[in-house]
Amino acid sequence: MAAKPTRRVVLAAAAMLPFVAVSGCEGADVLATPPSPAPDVTVLREAIAAEQLMITRYTTVLHRAAVANGSAASLAGALEPLLAEHRAHLAQLRSRLIVPAGSKASSALPHERAPAPVPSGVSAGVAFLRTAEQDAATAMLQRLRGSPSSLAQLFASIGASEATHVPVLNAAAARVAP
Amino acid sequence: MSGSVSSAPGTIRALQAALTAEHAAVYGYGVAGAYLTGSTKATATSDWVGHQVARDHLEAVLRSLGAQPAAAAVAYQLPAPVRNASEAVALAVVLEERIATAYLGLVALSNASIRDYGAQQVQASALRAAGWRGGTVAFPGMTASALATPRKRS
Repeated sequence: MAAKPTRRVVLAAAAMLPFVAVSGCEGADVLATPPSPAPDVTVLREAIAAEQLMITRYTTVLHRAAVANGSAASLAGALEPLLAEHRAHLAQLRSRLIVPAGSKASSALPHERAPAPVPSGVSAGVAFLRTAEQDAATAMLQRLRGSPSSLAQLFASIGASEATHVPVLNAAAARVAP
Repeated sequence: MSGSVSSAPGTIRALQAALTAEHAAVYGYGVAGAYLTGSTKATATSDWVGHQVARDHLEAVLRSLGAQPAAAAVAYQLPAPVRNASEAVALAVVLEERIATAYLGLVALSNASIRDYGAQQVQASALRAAGWRGGTVAFPGMTASALATPRKRS
């Protein structure tokens, strides 16, 4: 059974636009301008990029915790479940994006500026993750407006999940000596 | 919620569903609280009050749209028996999961203020549920069918 169109962002529709236009009388020049992606495609790509960045940050902090001594090594028990949830977020977001053959839709979204690096030290890294989670939850809520219903629900749910990570990181930070 | 809110049937239905879930939560926390003590009882009381506030808000919104708010039932069928503190905590988790799902129904609406309110309530519910559960989940409120991977066209 085919998937419901409302559950996915269909890039293919946008990709068809030049062919509709060329059937008029503009000629080949029309084909030279690729269509802009739909707003919900852009926001979905932003959400995907944000999850990828969060996964990178968690991986960095977990790697540092693994080589550290003392209580920092026990951080894995707290952080790995959160990392697993971010991976689930990413997989679910990617499943909503249909990429037509030959498109470059899977390419990384350019950031307006380079994301802040994870500060050195396990304690600072955990504090950084806590702030990043709070920011991510806020950003996810800001993506609701203008999004299709099913995508808005997914954003709201992921944002709620990220908000629940903050108290976990607060508790983890308290266990790690600065 | 602020701004112009539509009184379309879909909007009313979603608001009534959220209200019904809040009625059930108010009842359920009343049951759960009876089996809890100390800090967990205090948390249950706080959550119970929070659900009463949300219930009152939803009723006011529905009335402002010309709809009669759904009334609370005299009693609710609990999802599982509650006979001790552990089962009371499990009930709180289930109540919050159902609340989150109901508020995702508001997120599905096109009105921006209702959508924002629904998302805020999903977040609040997820935080409460995580506190009761002692752990987080990846997709608060989302049903398995909503998360099913869409099949590729062949």
